[in-house]
Amino acid sequence: MTAQTIPAADQAVAPPVIELANAARWYGNVVAVNDVSFSLGAGVTGLLGPNGAGKTTLLHMLAGFLAPSAGTVHVLGRSPHRDPSVYRQIGLVPERESAYAFLTGYEYVRFNARLQGMRNADSAARAAIERVGLEDAADRAIGTYSKGMRQRAKVAGALVHDPQVLLLDEPFNGMDPRQRLSMMDLLGEMAAAGRTILFSSHILEEVERIGTEILVLVSGRLAASGDFRAIRALMTDRPHSITIRSSDDRRLATTLMADPAVFAVELKENALSVQTAHLSAFRRIIAVAGRTAGVRLMEVVPADESLESVFDYLVRR
Amino acid sequence: MTGPLVAFPEIVRLTLRQQLGRRRTLLLVLLAALPPLLALVYRAFGEVDVSGFTDSVFEPVSLTIVLPLATVLFGTGAFGAENDEGTILYLLAKPISRWVIVAAKAFAAVALSLVLTVASVLVAGAIEVVPAGSDGVSATEAYVGAMVVGSLCYVTLFLTLSLFTRRALVLGIGYSLVWEGALSSLLPGIANLSVRQYALGAADSFYQLHTEAARLSPTTALTLSAILIVVALALATWRLMRFELSGSTD
Repeated sequence: MTAQTIPAADQAVAPPVIELANAARWYGNVVAVNDVSFSLGAGVTGLLGPNGAGKTTLLHMLAGFLAPSAGTVHVLGRSPHRDPSVYRQIGLVPERESAYAFLTGYEYVRFNARLQGMRNADSAARAAIERVGLEDAADRAIGTYSKGMRQRAKVAGALVHDPQVLLLDEPFNGMDPRQRLSMMDLLGEMAAAGRTILFSSHILEEVERIGTEILVLVSGRLAASGDFRAIRALMTDRPHSITIRSSDDRRLATTLMADPAVFAVELKENALSVQTAHLSAFRRIIAVAGRTAGVRLMEVVPADESLESVFDYLVRR
Repeated sequence: MTGPLVAFPEIVRLTLRQQLGRRRTLLLVLLAALPPLLALVYRAFGEVDVSGFTDSVFEPVSLTIVLPLATVLFGTGAFGAENDEGTILYLLAKPISRWVIVAAKAFAAVALSLVLTVASVLVAGAIEVVPAGSDGVSATEAYVGAMVVGSLCYVTLFLTLSLFTRRALVLGIGYSLVWEGALSSLLPGIANLSVRQYALGAADSFYQLHTEAARLSPTTALTLSAILIVVALALATWRLMRFELSGSTD
């Protein structure tokens, strides 16, 4: 499987914050991550893949808790493996739910701030708790928290020192929809402030809502990276589906069927579904076809440019 | 990197709270109450007998049961709780030298063990043998010394063991029962590799123990103790520096 990479324009200017070159990790005969190369700068990137694709292994390699079996992993220009000083610039939210149950949320975040050597640990902890919206429960023991609250406490602990790089493994697990939205806003704000955020998630809606940059891992290999809409445009072996509403769908369908760029047309209730292999060509002909047929176009919407559609295609092919 | 003066007390405090919140600590407190209770029984039913109490309570109960159990639970629990609950990542994902983490964990575990074992010996001694005069004071001092040396050695040994295997608790109890208990009576050379003998050797410098119990001179015992502590802490630091998460294909 070949990765379809869409280089971001600004990556050529700024040095990458995260950089993997032919990185691989295996456990005995099991290959968890295989020959993965990519680089990331500031912004939010979603790490996608089915269960067992190697997402957690990749995040652990970036966090310095696993050495690559082959290739190189660099964060901020150096290998994070066996270099504790790199944690001054990294915040990590592991997937496992555990936290120190006997500490209050505030004590936990303050503990993280102190271990980061922050002099203003108290105010930094309060600010981080406020950022994740945990003020009301800050003085309660973490053991009494719901799953979503524990996740937020973990995120507060990871960002209390305002790291340059934030690695989050399934950070939205257990959060209710309102908490998810709030967390997405927070990650978006950090990205806008120049931080590099990489998070894994199996809920595509979340990834789509935060940003468009994705890394897709399938069976340990990088299947695609970049803007998922651009990746979709590169999938020329998969026809694009477009939904059209017009003043006369049947007449428009007759006209479109004569065009070589269109290879399937389906009349639906109050809409027309068109399949084309060449989206750019179709964009040019649709207006002409409308005029030729004497039909007024009311809506032309790509039906399968969602992240889910892209992901489904990459994983199944 | 975060300085040791900042990180050390934070990790000590965390470890103390972690250990004190566990049910096993309550069981240890009850166990440590055994020597003082036996002292009360001796006091109620007999004369003050320094050597009799030393031979039947300090050595077989305080030194052979309370000390190894307290140290194996606190020693393996210092990192064991972090490993079991998956919280060790929160410690390791920090800009802290690994030796600081090991030293802080060991300090907390030794402190807990000392409080429990020394208090147990002091209270039992105060009840039964100290009233006998200087001989009783020396005997109590001897076993306080044994608890100090034993706590330092056992805790560092078991803490290090817990970084190499998840079965450290079972191995630690096995070491105490089989190696130091059964095998050492058959093979005298084992004394050189027995923390109990290091503790008895240290105790010998305060109080003349009967020769069968202490097989090492105080100097030898203290030298071997120092070597064990340094080697164990160095190994634990080395291990933590090479910490990797266990295999996962996700």
